Formats: sequence, C-alpha cells, structure tokens
Amino acid sequence: MKDTATKVSPILSVRGLSKTFAGKPVVRNLSFDLHPGQVMALVGENGAGKSTTKNMICGLLEPTDGEIQLDGETFARVDPSAHGIAAVHQELSLFQTLTVAENMSIHHLPGSPVRVDWAAADRIAREQLDFLGMGIDPQVEVATLGAGKQQIVEIGKALLQANRVLILDEPTTSLTAIEREKLFAILDRLKERGLAIIFISHFMEEIYRVCDSYVVLRDGEQVGAGKLAEASRKSLEAMMVGRSIGEARLELTDPQERLALRVEGLCSADFHNVNFTVAAGEILGIAGLMGAGRTELAEAIFGLRPATGKVVVGEEEIRAPSVAAMKRRGACYVPEDRRLNGLFLNRPVRENLSAAAIGRFVTRKLRSIGFRGEVKSAAKIVDDMNIAVPHIENAVGDLSGGNQQKVLLGRWLATRPRLIVFDEPTKGVDIGAKFDIHNTISELARDGVGVVMVSSDLPELLNTAHRIVVMRKGRLVGQFHRDEFDAARIISLAASAGKPADV
Amino acid sequence: MLNIVLRTLRTNPAVPLVAALVVVFSLLSPFFMTGGNIEAMMGANAVVLIAAVGMTFVFLAGGIDLSISTVISASAVISGLVMAGTDNIAVGIATALAVGAAFGAVNGLLIGMCGLTPFITTMGTQLVARGIAFVMSQGVAVKGTPYALMDFGFAAFLGIPATTIVGLAVVVLASLTLCGTSWGRELMLVGSNRNAARYTGINVRKMEFSVYLVSGLLGGLAGFISIANLGNAIPGVGDTLLLMIIGAVVLGGTSMNGGEGSISRTLIGVGLLAVLINGLNLLGIPFYDQLIVQGVLIFVGTWMAARLSRRRA
Repeated sequence: MKDTATKVSPILSVRGLSKTFAGKPVVRNLSFDLHPGQVMALVGENGAGKSTTKNMICGLLEPTDGEIQLDGETFARVDPSAHGIAAVHQELSLFQTLTVAENMSIHHLPGSPVRVDWAAADRIAREQLDFLGMGIDPQVEVATLGAGKQQIVEIGKALLQANRVLILDEPTTSLTAIEREKLFAILDRLKERGLAIIFISHFMEEIYRVCDSYVVLRDGEQVGAGKLAEASRKSLEAMMVGRSIGEARLELTDPQERLALRVEGLCSADFHNVNFTVAAGEILGIAGLMGAGRTELAEAIFGLRPATGKVVVGEEEIRAPSVAAMKRRGACYVPEDRRLNGLFLNRPVRENLSAAAIGRFVTRKLRSIGFRGEVKSAAKIVDDMNIAVPHIENAVGDLSGGNQQKVLLGRWLATRPRLIVFDEPTKGVDIGAKFDIHNTISELARDGVGVVMVSSDLPELLNTAHRIVVMRKGRLVGQFHRDEFDAARIISLAASAGKPADV
Repeated sequence: MLNIVLRTLRTNPAVPLVAALVVVFSLLSPFFMTGGNIEAMMGANAVVLIAAVGMTFVFLAGGIDLSISTVISASAVISGLVMAGTDNIAVGIATALAVGAAFGAVNGLLIGMCGLTPFITTMGTQLVARGIAFVMSQGVAVKGTPYALMDFGFAAFLGIPATTIVGLAVVVLASLTLCGTSWGRELMLVGSNRNAARYTGINVRKMEFSVYLVSGLLGGLAGFISIANLGNAIPGVGDTLLLMIIGAVVLGGTSMNGGEGSISRTLIGVGLLAVLINGLNLLGIPFYDQLIVQGVLIFVGTWMAARLSRRRA
C-alpha cells in the first residue's frame, strides 16, 4: 500500500512555502509531497510553525512566498471548498445550539437561498455519519454530545468538503482511549478512499500508529522529513528540540530551606491529586502539553477555579483561596492571556501598574485627594523594568506585546510578593523582552521569592528553572532537577500515553 | 496652549458643541443670555443632572440602569406621602434616599450576585417602580408636601437655583469619589475589563452591587429634588427622563462599554441638552420637531466623541 502510494503523482506538493508576520518569519522554505492514501505527521514544539503551515494549506492564510500544487496545478492561495481541502482545528468550532446535521452542512446548505432543504441536509449528514461508523443522530443538538463525538462531527463536516486533503490538528486531545481507537479506524478507511491526511500531534505513539511519513518543524524551519519507518522516536524528538538547548543558561542561586508554597492533594475536574512544593528562592517549572491542566491548576491555587485540597503559603494554610486572599499573603498570579485576563487596555499604564495595590496610595486627607505616590511608583516600575512607553498616561493597549507583558509583571511586582505563579510569562513577546523577563524572574528568586512557571516553551524552562515537574492529563508524572534536565525525556514524558510514574 | 485646548477637547468632546449652540441661540434670541432664562434653564435640569451622575457610574462599570427614571418617580411619591403625613422635610429626604437605595439594592443583588443581565433586570425594576409610583399616588400628584420645600425650590443664590446647587454638589462629590478613592478606581477597572479585574483581586460582584446601590440612591435624591422643583410629587415625573439621562451621559462622552468617561463629561452633556432644549423653546420650535433635532444631535455628539477619543496617544 505504502509503496504503491509513492509511485502515483502527489495530490499535494508544497514548494518553498514561507510565511512572515510583520517582518518576522514564522515558517521558512517548507517543501514536501503528499500522495493519495498517505498520512503525514507534522510535528514540532509549540510555536514551531505547525499551525501557520496548517492555515496556509487550508487557505486561511496567504503564503508570503512559495507555491502550493494540487494535482499538478499551482495556486498562490488555496480555496478550501473548491480545492477539496479541509482542516479540523484543535479548538472545536461547532455551533453548540444547532443540530448535528445543521452544523455539518453549514458551509453549503442544500436547497435554494430562500428555502433550505433540511431533509437533504439531514440525508447528507446521515450518510457521512454512517460512513464514519459512529452512532450519532444527525437530529440532536451538538451541545448534548460529548467532546469525543463532537470531534467526529467535526471530521464528518470537514469530509463533506475534503475529497483530496484532510488536516487534523491534535484530534485526540479530547478523546477517550476507545474513541481514539475508533478515530484511527476511520483514518484507515479514509486512506483506502485515497484521501491524503496531514496529522498534527504531540503524541508519538499516535504518530507511529497512524502515519506513514513525517515533517519536523523547528522555529519555522523544516529540520527533517522522510518515511516514519526509517526514523526512530528518539531521533524525531531530537530533531524537534534541536541543539539550541543548554546554551546561555541563566546563573541561578540556591533555593532556601523555607517553603514558599505547598500544594497537597489538590483535585478538580481538570486535575487529580496534585502535590508539590516550592521553596523560597526556587524557580519551579511546570511542563506539559496544551490541555494537560496546567493553567487550571495555577488558577485553582488562586481560587479562580473550584478545587479541593490544601494550599499552604509560607506557614499558613489558605482555607478559601481567592486572588485577594492570596495577595494579602504576598502571593500573586500572572495569567497567560494578558489581553483577556490581565490588562485594562483602554486605561493608562499608570492605572494598570497600580491596579493590584491601589489601596496603598489612597490618602485620607481631603486637601490632597487622589493617589499619593502613584505616579512616582509607576514611573519607577517603568524605569526598573525597562518598559518602552512614551508616557505613563498612554493607554496600555497602544504598547507592544513585550511591553504589555512587562506592565502586567510590574503590576504584581509592585505588591512585593513572596510567591509568584506565572502562566506562559513570555508568550508572544519578542526576544529582547523575553530576555528582560527571564532576568527579572531570576532576580526575584535571588531575593528569596518562590516562583512557579507554567510554560509550553521547554527551552525557556530548561534555561530558567531549578526544577521541572511534568504534567500530563491532569497528573504530575515526573520531576527533574536542574542537573538532570533532559529535553527529550521531558517531551516524551509529557506526550507519552503510558502509566504515570511516581513523582 | 494648543495642547491644552486639544486635551480639553479630547476629554470633553461635547464642549465645542455647547459653545456653538450658545453662540447660535444668543444670536437668534435676545432672551437667551438673560439671567432669568439661564436660571430657569439650570433649575429645569437639576433632576436630570443628579440622575445622570448615577447613570455615569453605572456606565463606567460597564452596566446600564434603565430603572433610574421611574425610581425618581417612586421615591418622589413615597417621600411626598410621608411628608404630607409628617410635614417633616428631614424624614422626607431619608425616605426618598431609602426608597432609591432599596431599588438599587434589588438591581445590585440581581445583577451582581445572581448574574442577571443589567438591561433586562433594570427594565423589570423600572416597571415595578413605575407601578408603585402610580398605585401609591392613585395616579395623581401627591399634595400636602411642606411649603418650605417649595420655597427651597424657588430659592436661588447668585442667580443659581438652590436645586442646581445641590446637583453641582453631587457632581463635585461624585467626581472626587471617582478620581480619589479606591472604589472609584476599581469601578473604572471593572468597567474596562471585568475578567482582568477578577484576576487582579477586585471583588467584581461587590463592585457591581455597590454601583447599582449608588445609582439608586442618586435616583432617590433626584426624586426628592423633583418635589422641590415642581411643588408636588408627580407619579409620572421620571417617565420621560430616561432618554434625557442616557443621552446626556453619552453626549458628554462616557462610553456605554465601560471604563471610559468621567463625571465632568456628564455635566457638559447635561448642559448641552439643557441649552438645546431651552434654545429651541425660545425659538418657538414645536415639541415634536425638537425631538428630531435632539436625535440628530445624539448621532453627531457620539460620532464626535468616538472620533476624538480614537485620536488618543
């Protein structure tokens, strides 16, 4: 099967594909062939350019350079419906209040514009679902289906459009083991139909189970490609991580004896029985894949999500955690999505910097009503953190990503915390700001602050952390000290489907 | 110099409109700039000014209080009935504030604690308050309120009506609260980004509760002032005021999306509508024609506000 597939001409050929965002190359010079009945794995770390590649091939993004050939015909930009290409994206994108049939035919409703032929839509959906072999009633509302069945509906919807290439982005993260096997069986049938599939996944077992060939991306560059049968799992992981790791490590000081944070038996819907400690002056990295429950864990510690278990800050157990209660004990949380959960975009930099500690500046005197010392404090933070802003009265929304992140960081540093939990502290910031933020974090640790750092950027954790714990599917599955950091082992632990090891 | 002018324009986009209207009406009507007319113009808008300050707080926090208009009516009627029985102005003030606070607390509980949407919730309390005002007054003006209160309604100092002085005092106090207390700052932050406020440790629900409480209180005060202005407690006094109140706040340049605006802008916005309505009356423009002009002005004003605030930074 595999051998015959390579002899026919490719269904999709990509030559020198590149994408640049605001002068910054995200994908460079990508080239590969995809034959009918072939499943190609597209692998790489978070931020390696997989999503951008996917979006160029399914027509969401226009490539900056390079060409895409479909059955020998060259196109500058793909028109997904005309070219028979469809992608199932990682985030489910179904309309929860519509039925399965309505969702599946939403891109191309049968009938005339004034009168939709719902019976036909129903029939089309039923045929497709029958082929997929899942017992899903096209008449039910999508919201009543579990995540696994919704994923199948997504695939069914994509297949109505895709008769050449189907792209699956992390299709198994929300599936149970049984549902996953069913999905793999479906993929086998689609291969027999002559469809070409691009399979994006972090899970190596899955890749070896379903894929024939691979392309490895690192920092937007194609660092490896070939037949999967000829590449070992170790070599693939080494290609993903590259040799850049281990260079330019930060100098860290030893942590103190005193504990800054102790988490015992923390449980919620997203994670189970999580235990860990952070010493004063220690930087603890939490590694894991998207959806492993890391953000949920961090938010639960601060009472932003419900959870049961014990959270101890310093010596004191926090009975009812909340951001305000943690703040009073000198603990703070810097969230991942700064635009959604962090910053007050239309308010000035000054107000954003003082937001967590405004009470400190209130004066009781009527003569000088206002916030005494707020301007001075804001100016000092801007100075200390090296924030590039014309004036502290400028709206935060006008700053660059890196400077916005520094403002968010500065706000919490102004509370003089003893414990900081960061969620993706350098996501979407430029190299210079990243460097500044890493230095700030290591200085905090030197001053005896306990630091927890959730990050999907493994080199970042390897560079800045004293210790890394690995989280997978809601459980802590491993721990590494700085002298035994091993990128390949951490990745394989985070992505393996095996039994969790003891911590 | 140019900078100061530009900054004033940015923070108070309605100022040039007010200035233009004053010039036009002064030219068209010899009565416009007389002391008597100015006094009448101010007195007629004290109630709207006080209520608009309450609405400004709610807007800044990202909500809306549609009930404020009929809370004015309900608190006027109940306060009027109490004063007719006791002839005591202090008890009357306390009653009006208590009624306003009660409605505000109901709004605050439903929106802040139960998570209902502000629009629907306050529409409900608007109807309830209106119903109460008409049921308790049996649909007619409540008579027998103290004469001293009517005297207060007619009093003026240096050509400024006493009721307007109360309104201006509310403006000053509200402005200081907004700009000088942590409550005011946190209110602004909740309106700017509710999620971020939660992640910053601000008690968003308590904030929402308190802002509707304040809005209710100011509605109660406005209701009491309406008795001084009109001499009676009228059950329908607030019915027509809602669009005036919202219009004044929006024209002043406070955003309905929250986190952008100020009390001083609302003062200008009330002034703008006051000048417009007074001027059109002086020119003998019929009431319904005035509505068309008011509507067009709201488009122009909000468009200008949007243009000017976009040219920030």
